[in-house]
Amino acid sequence: MTQPIPSSAPRGAPPPVLAGFEHVKRGWHAKHGAYAARILPGEYYVTRSDEGIYTTLGSCISACIRDRVSGIGGMNHFMLPATDKAAGKLTASGLDAAARYGNFAMEHLINDILRNGGSRANLEVKIFGGGRILAKMTDVGLRNIEFARDYIATEGLTLLAEDVGDIYPRMVLYFPASGRARVKRLRSLHNNVIAAQEMNYVDSIAAKPVGGDIELF
Amino acid sequence: MPPKKGKLDMETGANELVKDISGLVTLPDVYLRISRLLDDANSSSADIVKAVAQDPAFSLRLLQVANSALYRFPSAVDTVAKAVSIIGTAQIRNLALSMSVAKCFAGLPNDLVTMDNFWRHSLYCALIARHLGKAARRCDPDTLFTAGLLHDIGELVIFNRCPQQAQEALLAVLDDEEEVPVYAAERAALGFDHAAVGGALARQWHLPPVLEECIAHHHDIGAADRHPREAAIVHIANSLAQLAEVDSLALDDAPPIDPRAWETAGLDADAIEPAVRAAQQEIQEIEKLFTGKQ
Repeated sequence: MTQPIPSSAPRGAPPPVLAGFEHVKRGWHAKHGAYAARILPGEYYVTRSDEGIYTTLGSCISACIRDRVSGIGGMNHFMLPATDKAAGKLTASGLDAAARYGNFAMEHLINDILRNGGSRANLEVKIFGGGRILAKMTDVGLRNIEFARDYIATEGLTLLAEDVGDIYPRMVLYFPASGRARVKRLRSLHNNVIAAQEMNYVDSIAAKPVGGDIELF
Repeated sequence: MPPKKGKLDMETGANELVKDISGLVTLPDVYLRISRLLDDANSSSADIVKAVAQDPAFSLRLLQVANSALYRFPSAVDTVAKAVSIIGTAQIRNLALSMSVAKCFAGLPNDLVTMDNFWRHSLYCALIARHLGKAARRCDPDTLFTAGLLHDIGELVIFNRCPQQAQEALLAVLDDEEEVPVYAAERAALGFDHAAVGGALARQWHLPPVLEECIAHHHDIGAADRHPREAAIVHIANSLAQLAEVDSLALDDAPPIDPRAWETAGLDADAIEPAVRAAQQEIQEIEKLFTGKQ
């Protein structure tokens, strides 16, 4: 039968949560001896504490961004909706609706880091995901990767590391305080469930018109 | 004793689930013919050859397998009689099962995993179990191949019959940073897991006890009392198959291996790399032969 999960170290109460992130589910992760927040497609999370943030990525992208001096940082999880000109490369400066979703995802994360004490000059970025997890689909992962790289270059941010593309879904766990990220490739048993989750998310954003102040996350 | 009751409940639930799938998934005639002959003390290997030859499509594929990287015989195997004599009659029965299982289960579709992805994991497990079996000695590598190929068949039954709870279980695994094993999430969502369902199906099909034990106990090797060695090897191979799949050799990337499994199998961690690497070399050819994938 299932073995009880060994609890290491006294866990104490979860670290304080920043305003606006109270809805994010957090739990104790004995293996890492830390609390970790779980984000889903379309969500993001920012913290000033030594806690982890994790998510599961198929063809979506997560940017992990932090202030390398103060350790304030966070993670987002997004995908660009399909557009009529899906064949073209999407750039961050482009004005089409799809790129705007990507820009929102990146800006919300960065703005919340800055609002909570981060400094723009100290930001460092890692990006993950964009896998081609369904063989028959067009490579939507690649569009997401290209967008993220382009955004980082356009904004003059430092891209410290990336693990993107290929055919695997990924489980990413990020600790903004130290900048440590653990990426685990997931077995293909999970592909369809992850893809379905991402498709629900992309359908939900495609159904909404993009407006200037709409809260997308 | 509560744990005992839990186990019984699990078996009852699993038995219920496989009861009505007999019309959807049936074993091929050639396997049943060979099985009957093997159980009949008066039959000879010539009878087995005849039974195989009655199925020309199977005969052709049997020769392809006999000439594949799986066996590496020094000379070409060009007749069914030669294949039966060098592979062995009991092993031919296993091959008849292995070579048709993907087709059998095509009648049980699901939306949770593609058949390609499902069988690739199973074939990795089969190939790795076969290599580990050779390294461990005192067990039959061909039997282990079949056991590895069949170890997760209960999953296909669950995915087809209880898609909602199965999806719930998979989401729970992802939600918990993959620390909860799939079988534990299934027990929580359904009251039984894919190993119990596979075991029930093996019993319903009267598969050889060694296959039944490997399927039913690959996550719970302590319960395999008749064929502990084989169950331990399939348990290890299941984890290593996941390494082969994500192209890693770090055990941290695979579900934990029960330390007792190494002891029971008479193997140690030195066996990991050669088995994973060999399986990665062989997978493409074997995938074509066993699942018809081009």
